[in-house]
Amino acid sequence: MNPTSQHSIRWTAGRAVRIAALAACLGLSSNACRVEAPERTQAEERASATGYRGILLADAEPRPDFVLTDVNGDALDFRSDTEGKLALLFFGYTFCPDICPVHMASLAAVKRDLSIEEQRRMRVIFVTADPRRDTPERLRDWLGNFDTDFVGLRGSEAEVDRIMLSLGLPAAIRDTAAGPDYAVGHASQVIAFPPGDGFRVIYPFGTRQADWQHDLPRLLDP
Amino acid sequence: MSGLQWWCSAQTAAWTWSPRPFPGVWLFVGLLVGLYWLLGRGAEGSTETSVRPGERRSRWAWFGGVLALWVALDWPVGALSGYLASAHMLQYLLTALVAPPLLLLGVPGRAWDRLAARSGVVRVLRFVTHPLIALAIFQVVLFYTHLPSVVDRLMVTPLGSFAIDTLWLGGGLIFWWPVVAPVPTRPRFGYALKMGYLFLSTVLNTMPYAFLTFGELPFYGIYELAPPVSVLGAREDQQVAGLLMKIGGGLVLWTAITIQFFLWYAREGEAEGPAPAA
Repeated sequence: MNPTSQHSIRWTAGRAVRIAALAACLGLSSNACRVEAPERTQAEERASATGYRGILLADAEPRPDFVLTDVNGDALDFRSDTEGKLALLFFGYTFCPDICPVHMASLAAVKRDLSIEEQRRMRVIFVTADPRRDTPERLRDWLGNFDTDFVGLRGSEAEVDRIMLSLGLPAAIRDTAAGPDYAVGHASQVIAFPPGDGFRVIYPFGTRQADWQHDLPRLLDP
Repeated sequence: MSGLQWWCSAQTAAWTWSPRPFPGVWLFVGLLVGLYWLLGRGAEGSTETSVRPGERRSRWAWFGGVLALWVALDWPVGALSGYLASAHMLQYLLTALVAPPLLLLGVPGRAWDRLAARSGVVRVLRFVTHPLIALAIFQVVLFYTHLPSVVDRLMVTPLGSFAIDTLWLGGGLIFWWPVVAPVPTRPRFGYALKMGYLFLSTVLNTMPYAFLTFGELPFYGIYELAPPVSVLGAREDQQVAGLLMKIGGGLVLWTAITIQFFLWYAREGEAEGPAPAA
């Protein structure tokens, strides 16, 4: 074999190896799309079983009956004022550094994706577990950062704790001895009461916007 | 706030603007400074300390690269990259696109000479840093290290976060090698092809950019559920990340394309020689 043909074979082989390597890399890239698909979250597993990505409580009692004060000083009767609507109830506090703002931001973002008519048929209700610091003005401003339609409710600590206990949630723990920047331990789930009652769905912290986007239309029209 | 971490990773504790130490980052930066000294030594056994022409400029490039890495990996950018997708993207730009070409430009000439003398290493480099292979490796690194499942899994531990940063730096070095490094020589990969290579990569990063910017929902659980740092919601933060990738990445790549163009222009001018006197 003359040197020219040897060189030509080596050059062709080298090029083939490079092309194969490139194809393998690109193949890996396209396979990556498939790596994503089979991964299912716990929420998706739940949805395949119950239809909801939240935790379905099928034998739940009717929505709770309590009256608290909104940021304008008006009384809000939870049961009668949310009747026929999807109510999303959450207990938190405005100084919360993590769970509360994340839940509210997620709900606000997904709510904006709904039609106006659907938005009218739902209420997001935030009950402060820290009424000492969460003044009506602070509560209004804080909720307004997310969505001006979100309803903020206040009551005495004892009242709020009693409502939480009645829903099977632990009472809030207010570490007031830690100084003015004290933390409040509180339940981290949003409770969804669909329009017809009969069941409720629990959304723990970790619920993604994708989960809300999946469940909200089903909760509005169960 | 959680205890001492050796490398920045995603945290569940609320963000504070109090500086935090990351000893692994400091060690890494220190090693890079030491590496420059090692690379700059004269031939084996020699005590040569003289500085070659252009060596001072290369030193600035090397330390510019180290500085870019330090900014990317240490507090606050490194720490914020556990809270914000946009900070994570800034970290990517600095680690994969800014630091590698500076580090390569900063390698002292005598280190390149020593490398060129090692035929085995040069053979491997010739293959790995072939423009097609380098581009493919970089794109795969870019793609995989931005997948939500990968980011959500790796960014929650210092080791995982370190793995991502290392992949970015390694991928970036491979990507920039054929453009910047003089060894192995690639006479056929001239200025025009280098410009084409860089342009192609600006086109290829459009996919992840579009993925992030036009995504309907937040892709990354760690950023969606992270304690909020700014007024940006998770979706807006992700959009900023996508724009940073496109605009910031584009700026770096187009700067490199422009430099290649002017180098080409200057070379052509040299080849033509001085204009005849009137």
